[in-house]
Amino acid sequence: MTDTALGYISLEEMLSELLERVRSSLHADTAAVLLLDVDRGVLVARAARGLEEEVRQGVQVPLARGFAGRVAAQARPIVIEDLSHAEVVNPILRQRGIRSLLGVPVQVEGRVIAVMHVGTLQRREFDEEDISAMQRAADRAAVAIEHAQLSEQRAVTEIMQRTLLPHALPEVPGMRFSAKYLPAGSGVKIGGDWYDVLQLANGRLAFVIGDVVGRGVLAAAVMSEIRTALRAYLAEGHELSHVMALLNDLLVSMGRNRSATATIFELDLERGELEAVSAGHLPALLMTPDGEAGFLEQLQGLPLGISLGQEYIPQIYSFPVGSALLLYTDGLIERRGESIEEGLTRLRAAAESPGTPEDESLADRVYHGLLDETTLEDDVALLAIESLPLQRTMQLTLEADTGELAGLRRTLGRWLAGQGVQEEDLFGMTLAASEAAGNAIEHAYGAHEATFTVICERDDKEVRVIVRDEGSWRESRPYGRGRGLGIMRALVDSAEIDRGEQGTTVTLSKRLPGSAT
Amino acid sequence: MSRLALERVDGVPIARPSEDIDAANARVLRDELAACLQGADTLVLDLGLTRYVDSAGIDMLFRLNELLRQRRATLLLVIPQSSQLTRLAQIVALPSAVAIHETVEQALGAVSPHSGA
Repeated sequence: MTDTALGYISLEEMLSELLERVRSSLHADTAAVLLLDVDRGVLVARAARGLEEEVRQGVQVPLARGFAGRVAAQARPIVIEDLSHAEVVNPILRQRGIRSLLGVPVQVEGRVIAVMHVGTLQRREFDEEDISAMQRAADRAAVAIEHAQLSEQRAVTEIMQRTLLPHALPEVPGMRFSAKYLPAGSGVKIGGDWYDVLQLANGRLAFVIGDVVGRGVLAAAVMSEIRTALRAYLAEGHELSHVMALLNDLLVSMGRNRSATATIFELDLERGELEAVSAGHLPALLMTPDGEAGFLEQLQGLPLGISLGQEYIPQIYSFPVGSALLLYTDGLIERRGESIEEGLTRLRAAAESPGTPEDESLADRVYHGLLDETTLEDDVALLAIESLPLQRTMQLTLEADTGELAGLRRTLGRWLAGQGVQEEDLFGMTLAASEAAGNAIEHAYGAHEATFTVICERDDKEVRVIVRDEGSWRESRPYGRGRGLGIMRALVDSAEIDRGEQGTTVTLSKRLPGSAT
Repeated sequence: MSRLALERVDGVPIARPSEDIDAANARVLRDELAACLQGADTLVLDLGLTRYVDSAGIDMLFRLNELLRQRRATLLLVIPQSSQLTRLAQIVALPSAVAIHETVEQALGAVSPHSGA
């Protein structure tokens, strides 16, 4: 049984007990509590004595209509001495022959969260003393309901976070991802904020930040639908602008009457290029390697879900090693009584300030700089992507799976570029190393959970990539026809193959420009 | 799954993969490319968006060329001059088996009987 269910049961029991006492002390025949559902604008019967079918049938009373609806809307006690002359929405009250009613609002800090009412079969008058006894019971109910709703909200939020946000951010050499998801403070439900990180074909990465308008379970459900559709469109390999257009048409056609804002990024690590499209979302913050931050304000596009056939124009940004990208939702920058500009300025300052400790992630740095001592009025989703310099010597352990090759080539390309290797040599060394890795993967054929190692190192004269496995070298392959070795030798200065008892080691080297031959 | 865009110009299919061609996807891609032919007698394979082709990918290109020849069709490769693949194609003697053009327009020109190219 979940925490949520436990919370419901204890609230029901508590309210039933309270209602029983109210009923007997006021000599009433029935007593009931209806909770206000703010999202739908209705009161829902939650606990009752003498009128139990009201709860079983899930009676709902629109706000401001009927007896309970008026008590909630006017936030004051209401007495009806003769029901036969009054507007009553709930059919059960009439069917049961209720004649007189007293209802009081259940309030927390001046906010109506429920209505409590008692009824009698005989016509009777409720005096001031009855009303204040009833109000005292309502105050006790308020505490119980508030408490139950908070723990329910916490449980729902926790489940949402567990199921809707990425289980783990991917691990990519030289990249640091950090994220935060912070539900807003008391009395509010889960919102529609989300973020996502995906690994695409060719070792490219996609980042997403988005926000479905509104709050509550419906907003979260729409968010979940959008997030899933977005993952599918991205995996299918559409252009980003097309992905956003597809998503917009989908959201419009779902007919949920919810709009959303989002920005999608695709990062080509090897080229250090970041492509982005936005649908009305707040501008992401891009940081250059020297720590200067600027907002991507050129990105413009209508929010999703408003009208069919929108166009989203992509922009390309440079994202060299040392760059960082910060994606966030409006809860991060919006403060009551402040303009968005002020919020953005504060965000930029927080991102540019040095972290403590120095290697603190960007998400932590921004979080500490902006939110530490603030009560959140809205949910906040925060995703930071940092491209860190690769070490001069880098060692990778990879699964013996051909699916790893594309990602390996991107990582090698990044490392080589970082060592000052120019395009032609970078291509040659990367492809040669990929051939050696392909062989290592073939050697592991049939082995369970086999891995191989790639070591990248350099000195003043050359860069070396060493690929090591635990199998034996094969000259000719049934499908590859041994072409790999020729490609390798042609693309690098030297390719040494050491076939040992323990496995095969291929050492590839390429002279750095400017060094003597 | 592969990223393969397909368009037709005057009935000639032009296939444009945007991801690397390597041991992970070569076989699937060969089948997808062969299926692009759909009765045409020429297939233009534009490698302008492809960054890397490994030895398994090169083998696939030779095999695809053979497969199309058996179906009395022609494979035309497009590799822009600026692409690093130009050098790779020379290393593996790809031009000895497959016609390589620098642009899609040139490749289409080689198809059209009215073209002077």
